[in-house]
Amino acid sequence: MTDRELVRDDEVFVRMNLTERLQHTLLILTFVTLMATGLPLFFFEFRLFRWLLPSGKAFAVRGLLHRAAAVMLIANLVWHLGYTVFTRRGRDNFRALIPRVKDFRDAFEQFFHNIGITRLLARLGVLKRFFARHPYWLFRAPPLFDRYNFVEKFEYWAVAWGSAVMIASGFFMWKVEFSLRFFPLWVHNIFIIVHGYEAMLAFLAIIIWHMYNVHLNPEVFPMSKVWLSGRITGKELRLLHPLEYERILEARRRAVTADRARAEASRAGGPLQEESSSGV
Amino acid sequence: MRSGWPSLLLGLALAAGPAFGRPAVQAGSEDCLACHSDPALTSASGKTVAVNQAGFEASIHARAGMSCVDCHTDLRQVADFPHAERLKPADCSACHEPEARELAASVHGQSGAGEGQAVSCRDCHGAHDVRAGDDFESRTFSLNLPGTCLACHAEKVQAGRGGEFVRLYEKSVHFRALEGAGLTMSANCGSCHGAHGVKSVRDPASEVSRTNIIKTCGRCHVGIERDYLEGVHGKDYLRGGKDVPVCTDCHNEHDILPPAEAESSVYATKVAGVCSRCHDDMALARKYGLLPDRMKTYAESYHGTASRFGEVRVANCGSCHGFHDIRDSSDPKSSVYPENLPATCGRCHAGATQHFAEGKIHYVAQETVGFRDRSPHIVKSVYIVVISAIIAVFLMFIAADLLHRALKRGRHD
Repeated sequence: MTDRELVRDDEVFVRMNLTERLQHTLLILTFVTLMATGLPLFFFEFRLFRWLLPSGKAFAVRGLLHRAAAVMLIANLVWHLGYTVFTRRGRDNFRALIPRVKDFRDAFEQFFHNIGITRLLARLGVLKRFFARHPYWLFRAPPLFDRYNFVEKFEYWAVAWGSAVMIASGFFMWKVEFSLRFFPLWVHNIFIIVHGYEAMLAFLAIIIWHMYNVHLNPEVFPMSKVWLSGRITGKELRLLHPLEYERILEARRRAVTADRARAEASRAGGPLQEESSSGV
Repeated sequence: MRSGWPSLLLGLALAAGPAFGRPAVQAGSEDCLACHSDPALTSASGKTVAVNQAGFEASIHARAGMSCVDCHTDLRQVADFPHAERLKPADCSACHEPEARELAASVHGQSGAGEGQAVSCRDCHGAHDVRAGDDFESRTFSLNLPGTCLACHAEKVQAGRGGEFVRLYEKSVHFRALEGAGLTMSANCGSCHGAHGVKSVRDPASEVSRTNIIKTCGRCHVGIERDYLEGVHGKDYLRGGKDVPVCTDCHNEHDILPPAEAESSVYATKVAGVCSRCHDDMALARKYGLLPDRMKTYAESYHGTASRFGEVRVANCGSCHGFHDIRDSSDPKSSVYPENLPATCGRCHAGATQHFAEGKIHYVAQETVGFRDRSPHIVKSVYIVVISAIIAVFLMFIAADLLHRALKRGRHD
């Protein structure tokens, strides 16, 4: 059997299962609500936002919605944490998401592969001997990604970091009197600054980075549908996550070989089969 | 008091009447009214000379027993009727001398471009039907006075800022108390502007001039006048400060409303705007050494931001600094004196501790303050740098990706 037969291009793999999709959807809903009810405070100078929140009552409702969404976000995080700790798939995902040195190298290689500046230099005859001796610096081939590439890992850990900072600072802003029982005003003032600017960072990261990667990127435009269907094809796996693809392929190859060995053993006689199975 | 004087003078005049030697033949009011009660009665020149008999009989003068000739004194000598066409106008000052003197010196007395007084007694009090000030029907009864003044000032006489400005009074809490609650002690026109001696607001002697307005409002708002005079604004005011705010600078003039009402100039969400009219003014800040950026730093805080969105429960300037008795933060009696801050903050934040005072509310970058007070600002600067760097990296990666795709497509074609 060839590789293409072992993992067919139209075979369907589950990239996000239902739990993960629900967690992602819940994250979208809470994030959008938090942004819609929080960002206007950062841009209090803009007339537009004052039109959105015309009166004192609307402002109070805004606060209520903001805190309700925050509680939902926390609940979602707790769910995700439990899922990560208590399910096999969650643990596997988590292990695959741990940042490694390779991710930093991948980012570096991807960038220089994309701009191709060193290949241009080599073609122009600059540093000819250097490039002849070190072809790595030509970045001819793009880096090969595993289940999660550096972009996805970055986004995952950005959400984790951002949530931790926002929840901590937000909690103390919610309970001002509690905060100021333990911290002086200048520390509380830092909470407020951090909450606002961290939100700004999250907003820009989502609007620029995530929206490009899953929407505007010509590869997936207008939208990658993984978050809805959770499915990825064998072809996409092979092109976008070659290392994961390779691992699946390897496992199947081994399974095929084992099957063949078992088939041969059964033809040769019972005792051998027993021996081989007990030895594993 | 004011209504006491005329009756006292009236009494004196009546008592003195016979002593002046009245002519033997004197027409009683009935004689005059025999002709003048005819509403169609006109003079040769076509002017009506009718007298409303009921009105006259209900007047304070008639009820005190005065007759026509007591005012129309040139009729005393007349024995043959009908009398001559032209009579001298009735002269109230014969009895009401102090009021007449006040009126002559007033803006009403002075502004009559060369043809005597612009406003005479009868314009406000009426003529034959003049009643006592405490008579419900009187034009000058406290509940009726605004209508009497507005009869001219709403349209006919555009004094100062015009009729619109005068009519703003009808929106005020003062007018509402008068009209709605029937509180005669609520301020009507005369309470602030004075009655007979009313003067232009530009006249320093006016009761509503900057020099006198504190005293004028303080006639009723006694406790507030006391608080104001103890505060920084009041102390400067007593020293003759020309830029210091007086009552009307914050509360407006005619349309004074309770602070709890959204239209009030000192409604919770508008207070910061009112204070910053002076405290954000560069010229005044230089002249008096006012601390800079009070409004900006307030607006950036949660209190200020929420207030801009119309939230009224958050602190405005006055919530912390006080309203009338605003004191310098170095004054131990000040609500923002560091040791008083827990109590001040505690008015909203139950159980506020000394921690509330350990940090700056109005932090300005140029100020020389300790590292602790500056730390939020440093964190902010770090965030701005970090966010810019991260976004720059994002954009670089996106640009590189798009460039790569463009080049690849070019090669394939």
